[in-house]
Amino acid sequence: MSKDKSQPGGQAPPLDPITLEVVCEGLIAIVKEMRVTIIRASYSSVIYEYDDFSCALFDTEGQMVAQSWDHPGHVLPLPWGVRCAMDDFENDLHPGDVILLNDPYRGGTHLNDVTLLYPVFDEQEQPMIFPAVRAHWVDVGGMVPGSYSGMSTNIYQEGVRIPPIKIIERGRLNKAAMALLMHNMRVPQEREGDFYASLGACRVAENRIGKLYQKYGREQVHQAVALNLDRTERRLREQIAKLPDGEYCHEDYLEFYNDGRLDPVLMRLKLTVRGDSIIADFAGSNPQVPGVVNSSLAVAGAGVFVAVKSTLDPGGAVNHGAFRPIELHAPEASIVDVRGDAPAGAHGEVRKRAVSVTLGALAQIIPELVSGDLCGTSFPNSIGGYNKRRGRQYVYYEGPAGGNGGFLEADGPSAYVNVDFGNLKSIQSAESIENEMPLLVERSELRADSGGEGMRRGGLGMRREVRLLDEEGSYSVLSDRAVIPPYGILGASSAQPYVVTISREGRELEFATPGKVTGYPLRENDVVIMRSAGGGGYGDPLRREPELVRADVVGGYISLERAREGYGVVLRKDGGVDEEATSALRRKLEGERFRVPVRADDEHDPYTGAKGRRRMLELAPAQAERLDATEDSLLEILGAHPAPLRAWARINPAASGEAIRLDAFGRKVLGVNEGDMVILRRLSMPSIPGGMAR
Amino acid sequence: MLWVGVDVGGTFTDGVLYDESAAAFRYAKAPSTPSDPVQGVLDVLFLLEVDLAAVERLVHGVTLGTNAILERKGAEVWMLTTQGFRDVLEIARTNRPVLYDIKSLKTPPLVPRTRTLEIEERMMFDGSVRVPMREAQLREALAAIPAGQPGALAVCFLHSYANPAHEQAAVRLAAETLPGWFVCASCEVLPQYREYERFNTTALNAYIGPLMDGYLGGLQARLAEGGYGGKIFIMTSNGGVSSAERARKLPVHTVLSGPAGGVAAALHLGALLDIENQITCDMGGTSTDVCLVEGLHAPVSNEQYIGEYANRTPQIEINTVGAGGGSIAWLDAGDILMVGPRSAGAQPGPACYGQGGTEPTVTDANLLLGRLRPGGRLGGALALDEALALKAIAKLGKRIPSLETEQLAEGIIRIAVARMVSAIKQISIGKGFDPRDFILNAYGGAGPMHAAWIAEELEMLRVLVPLAPGNFAAFGSLISDIRQDAVRTRAMQPRTVNFAEIENLFREMEDQGRARLREEGVPPRAIHTLRSLGMRYLGQSWELDVDLPASIQSVEALEAAFSEVHERRFGHRSAEATEIVSFKLASVGRVPKPARPPWPGKGKLDTARLTGKDGTRQVYFSGKFHSTAVYERELLPRGAGVTGPAIVEENGATTVVPPGWRAAVLEQGDLMLERAAP
Repeated sequence: MSKDKSQPGGQAPPLDPITLEVVCEGLIAIVKEMRVTIIRASYSSVIYEYDDFSCALFDTEGQMVAQSWDHPGHVLPLPWGVRCAMDDFENDLHPGDVILLNDPYRGGTHLNDVTLLYPVFDEQEQPMIFPAVRAHWVDVGGMVPGSYSGMSTNIYQEGVRIPPIKIIERGRLNKAAMALLMHNMRVPQEREGDFYASLGACRVAENRIGKLYQKYGREQVHQAVALNLDRTERRLREQIAKLPDGEYCHEDYLEFYNDGRLDPVLMRLKLTVRGDSIIADFAGSNPQVPGVVNSSLAVAGAGVFVAVKSTLDPGGAVNHGAFRPIELHAPEASIVDVRGDAPAGAHGEVRKRAVSVTLGALAQIIPELVSGDLCGTSFPNSIGGYNKRRGRQYVYYEGPAGGNGGFLEADGPSAYVNVDFGNLKSIQSAESIENEMPLLVERSELRADSGGEGMRRGGLGMRREVRLLDEEGSYSVLSDRAVIPPYGILGASSAQPYVVTISREGRELEFATPGKVTGYPLRENDVVIMRSAGGGGYGDPLRREPELVRADVVGGYISLERAREGYGVVLRKDGGVDEEATSALRRKLEGERFRVPVRADDEHDPYTGAKGRRRMLELAPAQAERLDATEDSLLEILGAHPAPLRAWARINPAASGEAIRLDAFGRKVLGVNEGDMVILRRLSMPSIPGGMAR
Repeated sequence: MLWVGVDVGGTFTDGVLYDESAAAFRYAKAPSTPSDPVQGVLDVLFLLEVDLAAVERLVHGVTLGTNAILERKGAEVWMLTTQGFRDVLEIARTNRPVLYDIKSLKTPPLVPRTRTLEIEERMMFDGSVRVPMREAQLREALAAIPAGQPGALAVCFLHSYANPAHEQAAVRLAAETLPGWFVCASCEVLPQYREYERFNTTALNAYIGPLMDGYLGGLQARLAEGGYGGKIFIMTSNGGVSSAERARKLPVHTVLSGPAGGVAAALHLGALLDIENQITCDMGGTSTDVCLVEGLHAPVSNEQYIGEYANRTPQIEINTVGAGGGSIAWLDAGDILMVGPRSAGAQPGPACYGQGGTEPTVTDANLLLGRLRPGGRLGGALALDEALALKAIAKLGKRIPSLETEQLAEGIIRIAVARMVSAIKQISIGKGFDPRDFILNAYGGAGPMHAAWIAEELEMLRVLVPLAPGNFAAFGSLISDIRQDAVRTRAMQPRTVNFAEIENLFREMEDQGRARLREEGVPPRAIHTLRSLGMRYLGQSWELDVDLPASIQSVEALEAAFSEVHERRFGHRSAEATEIVSFKLASVGRVPKPARPPWPGKGKLDTARLTGKDGTRQVYFSGKFHSTAVYERELLPRGAGVTGPAIVEENGATTVVPPGWRAAVLEQGDLMLERAAP
């Protein structure tokens, strides 16, 4: 928006502070009202129980001017959707037009998130502020119930793709388009209900926006909005300006299976702080892959924004002004800039990994404001089938929240959605599920030992067990962090990764591609056991107050075994802390850490993989033995910077065994130079029958 | 016949007496007695000179439970729950109400894991038993609870709204094995589906159960000793009243007892004065409660929180802020002046009470600036000591040498006002209402003293100060109807049932509702019932309330009525079949509303002015002292106009009319303050 609008003067009378607030808060109140309308009128449980939707208001230039308790993952990339639609329909928008879209290549996130834009005009047909809704429809067609599947190799498998279209044109519903969409989605009567719920919310907003303009006048409303965006921008810039200028790098992975072999996909970030701006550059990130872990820069950028805002300037309103200080760059046709016809189902995972790499980079400058890594996936589990009792198809959908990272002042919260998820409820009421579906929730509890060990423990994930009571059903999940766990910082441990198994007649079945399951046929009485990851720890677990460790044992949050092995705390028979034995054990564990010097080597390419790119760490056999590592074991390298680097073992009998080789980027991530010592440790990985991709 | 309304606040206990034969009201105020709250009630009754034997109804508003929750001073609660579900309270719904803050923490559960015991039992959604409960296991679990000190137990099993048998059996056994414990089951507290919400509301009930049960039991006994033979009624959060017996079992329904009384009174007054839209501001000693009333309708919802805890009982939407007359002024890190939420309360009270308080409060600031009368009495026995107020404020002032003592006192008041303004913004601007479209209704002992500044900040044009503002909440409890809300969760598709089935279920509920109200002494003529259904389209999950008047007598008419509500609310309707989820019945026992006697209209304004040197005093406004007229409210004639600066005094409250404001005396003695045209 041009700056001159924010200047007082001109034709409009100067804005008094009460009107400024009434207008700005009034716009947020409209969004809140839209939210209630949607929750109450929707048919997808994902929307009404789970709050997996968002609403926002946009100005005539496509800037997001108001949102409320809206899912950051949805709402932050929404302006891109608005821009794509505005480009397509430039000078061709009229009263009564309503636009629908879900295309991840053109303004969408993943296909399930269906966006409705509702342009609003005044009596002179001048465009006004207008509402948009993005809601997760539980099914949009595709190869499995619930649509998105961890094993998709192209977008056509993920459902119906809707580029920006006018679903309603000058007030008339495009029945042909609607019929075509509904014929390609499961439980179409519910999808139609979802559509009308979004439409109803926009109508409520239209009415309210009209009243606001009537009462305060176009000029005053626009003036208030401009002032508000500017002050939001200023607020974040002031915080960024306090950071030291410089480049801060980090890398992390998404999990992709190439023909049954794990082929980790690299996400690299260089965060440049310059004055009161931040430039986030994903250069070096993996080219897009024929798997779900691709998304757009709008989505990855949402991850960067959430991490920056939530650490530097927590709380406060978010609107377009807050986006202005951050500039984004990505290589074309990469995992953060998806193009046809790669799948894009795991947009949430791409966003969450962007949060992880941004936190890892920020930890280098503001360790006191960040946390250990977050559980890091949205963990959408779905079970679909025919419900005999109610005589209709159903789709169950839940993503039990995991843990959050510990931080300076406190342990990470358990079973609490990550900061990029907003106020979303990741589980439904068990009573509600059982009323509506042939399922029985048998267990819903915190998962002991899942939180990353640290001076401040990572939060715990959940264990939720769901039994199928009908004859057949089909199970899918699209999870990340099922192999590569959330990391701890400042010497803390990783959390336990996500795990799903099926309990069938007393046996526990594991999946060959952990985290990615498509349409697995369930039998009557099968129990799906979902375990979400914990959060990463913060600080050295050997420095955690022994009393807190004891309390965790008493509460059942950690086992006696982990109290000893992870925290070095020995409890007496009466349950109290054995101070002496604890000090001795802690000294021993500290002494056993494997420290090696770094050798700078910028000649070698540290990455390997088929379609993915993963870091290798060359070990001499003796080093491997010390770490109990074999070829392709997952390793962690801890340097001077808070966040660790991950790599896979490559055992080389010819290696020196004195030091480890690290390239320039790796050294930058760890903050180490030639000769500096790092700590090596091995992380456990689930069994993957197909092994690692070559 | 006499009626009595009593409201126990954090600082004062207020009373109203209505003598039906004389059509006269009497008011009194006594300090609250936190160590033995019943004493404060007895003190007020004494001041009202009530013959307890002649009292017909005694209605009571009480915030003990609320304060216990807010201050986390409730009972140590244990919980029995279905196996596999011990973490329901800790997991909650996993949502994150604070956005964009990586360090936001989850609310700690009311009942920790270590006090939650799992029982092997399982009901299904349709009320069938999947896993029967074994008494032996139940006994074993109960034996694990240390029974030494009486505590509280919440019994929370899945699907108990559909079949309460297991919960009821557990409650029976617990009563046996845990004598003296407060035991409650989720099926009684909130028989509705969604386990987290039901369990948490039940845990809240148990958390304040022992306290409220003990208090109300003691009150009943001591009033009986004093000769009272009638029933005690308690104000409930929904704006109605219920019997003390019921409140002792279900105290969670009374968490907004006190503030609800004030809102009930405001609605009553709004109807009398034809004021449809008001924002109420009830400022007492400890806190201020604000509520937005639009179209003579107080918003009631069952989706609110008390503190950070979900409470799914129906309650008036009231926003509370910890700023009142007794709020203490202090310096935060960086020498930033703060007011509240800590309060001097009733004991020791503000410094000027001379009861040992040394920290400066809002009341001390008002006294120092002449807005309260030096040497005057506040709430009965207390004489206000200006020297003590000065000493307390001067002590704080030493750390802010740039301010004169009076400037500091005015600053303290401005900060308290800012906190109230912010609470009002949340319920008005924050919900899309412009406060300028509302009248500010200011009551509570301290409300009328600060109202004009609150209104100025929000650009509101008019302030209503009702008669006897310090006793307004107590008055509200007197005029509130007895109300019981019953809900039954019963899923039903209207198109597949005979309409008579719906009718029959409501008849059954009505019989029960009427019987309960008759037990509470309501004559059958005064009882009426309101039916509504929680309905949705098949496939939706959230229900909408649809009123079911007698005119609806067919499934078609019912579905049409639902579609109309749906369209009005959500902007569209559907041809989809509907589903009934719950049957709701409100049983209301109407009580006669005492009429206020006419306000005397004769006499001149000057006759209301205090005589001699009391008639004028120096009051500090905006940086300097102004010579200010002081009036006695009781003597202000109807129709008179008072021009600011002026002070209007009455027992229990002081109204400040700042420079630039005028106050008019309305027909029934209420004051309307208006900003004079600039």
